[in-house]
Amino acid sequence: MIPAQFDYVRAGSVDEAVAALAEHGDDAKVLAGGQSLIPLLRLRLSYPEVIVDVGRVDEMRGVRDDGGDIVIGAMTTHYDVLHDPLVREHAGLIVDATTTVADPAVRHRGTFGGALSHADPAGDLPAVAVALEAQMVIAGPGGRRTVAATDFFVDYLQTAVGPDEVLVEVRVPKHTGWGHHYEKFHRVAQSWAIVGVAAVVRRDNGSIGEARVGLTNMGATPVRAVAVEQALAGAAPDAAAAAAEHAADGTNAPNDLNGKADYREHLARVLTRRAVAAAAGGS
Amino acid sequence: MELEHRFTVPVPVAEAWDVLLDVERIAPCMPGATVDSFDGETIAGKVKVKVGPIQVTYAGTARFSEKDEAGRRAVIEANAKEARGSGTAAATITAVLTDSGGGSTDVIVTTDLAITGKPAQFGRGVMAEVGNKLLGRFADCLADELTGGTPAPAAEPVAAAAPASSATGADEDARAAPAAGSGNENPAAAVADATTGTPAPVARPAPAPTPIGSRRPPEDDAIDLLDAAGGPIAKRVLPWAVGLVVLFVLWRLVRRANR
Repeated sequence: MIPAQFDYVRAGSVDEAVAALAEHGDDAKVLAGGQSLIPLLRLRLSYPEVIVDVGRVDEMRGVRDDGGDIVIGAMTTHYDVLHDPLVREHAGLIVDATTTVADPAVRHRGTFGGALSHADPAGDLPAVAVALEAQMVIAGPGGRRTVAATDFFVDYLQTAVGPDEVLVEVRVPKHTGWGHHYEKFHRVAQSWAIVGVAAVVRRDNGSIGEARVGLTNMGATPVRAVAVEQALAGAAPDAAAAAAEHAADGTNAPNDLNGKADYREHLARVLTRRAVAAAAGGS
Repeated sequence: MELEHRFTVPVPVAEAWDVLLDVERIAPCMPGATVDSFDGETIAGKVKVKVGPIQVTYAGTARFSEKDEAGRRAVIEANAKEARGSGTAAATITAVLTDSGGGSTDVIVTTDLAITGKPAQFGRGVMAEVGNKLLGRFADCLADELTGGTPAPAAEPVAAAAPASSATGADEDARAAPAAGSGNENPAAAVADATTGTPAPVARPAPAPTPIGSRRPPEDDAIDLLDAAGGPIAKRVLPWAVGLVVLFVLWRLVRRANR
């Protein structure tokens, strides 16, 4: 199908993008890699009056080292994230999850920030951002502000980004040396996660010093499996199985054709056990 | 897809029943809807739903297909068509009231949804949570409305209900839709401005003065079912179930479209 008519603004900088958004407000929509928005436009499920394309905003692209964090530009494609040495060294969990995002074509066009801003609860990256305690840098008319990943995801497809704002970059605390694993359950290779589990584990003298676990598609937003993390702190590596029994605690998993809530809860426990075991055991 | 929601209101069955059947009064409980016409039996209107980047407008009608006063059972049939597409949505909403003793009434609302057209291509994926959230919002509003319907000093029950409703968000917007023009003489139906807690004039309910969009509480952003274009003048429409359908459709589509 052909999208409904819209005006098109190509922003050359973050400031230009924000100015365009400030002018058009709710009628405008930011176009990043277009892997979610373009299909929505073509299905005529979305008909913004103005598209603000940030595809040529160079300052939103790339990964840089900034002390205790790495900073990933929102417009960095999944492909570039996957092949970035800083990401590989300091945030391997992002690599684990990004390799499971859709297919190569989508990964060449789709962007890190676009996937986060779309905030699909079945998307892989939101749970990763939550597990890594990423900080989202959002630009708006009043300047920039930083929002913690847990506060960034508000509800289904809803983030803390206002209609006149744009996600510029994501600060990810370095998890250098942490074990990491993303365990995803889906029916076909490029489909959405029915449930996904993102785990990072800091090993400490043969035991688990600290663990962080994020869950994909176990609610309207990505959630941390807090009970699992508590059970793992200071535990032996083989504690994963017992700790994972708490994976579904406090979650509100959706019911749909892919699975009922109790099935997802089961998946969360199993996948958490695998993810934590893998993160604690190697890599 | 079938959704069920239960709540209890502290008024006797007979009073709750009267409120339930007062379309003009419960219609504002449906977020995102505008009424085009109401002939005393059938409401024609639109429901506009916005979830993240997605917008869909359904246009259609709703009416009571059954009012079984003895059994305290009312059935609403709603049918709608996508305003910008060929899909359709139909909902059968059954509300049953039972006396739970002590002057309270149990309300059970069951909604059966069916969709055709484009959404059918995408299977029957259900975001029951989204649906329930919406249903819960409607039910909260309905509960407030029923509670506020108790014969009591004018405005007092409404004022009491307003703070309670603030926790749910959308019903405030819904309440902001004025009782004006409804011709409802029940003093308690003079809907308070839920934002300020100020009781609206009793004798002459005034239109809500502020644009609806401006008072949207944060939680309402979660599911932005409310179109500001609905405006304070337009009355809200009954076929809230259409909203559920829309959400359900949207959810399938976005997930499909998304990759």
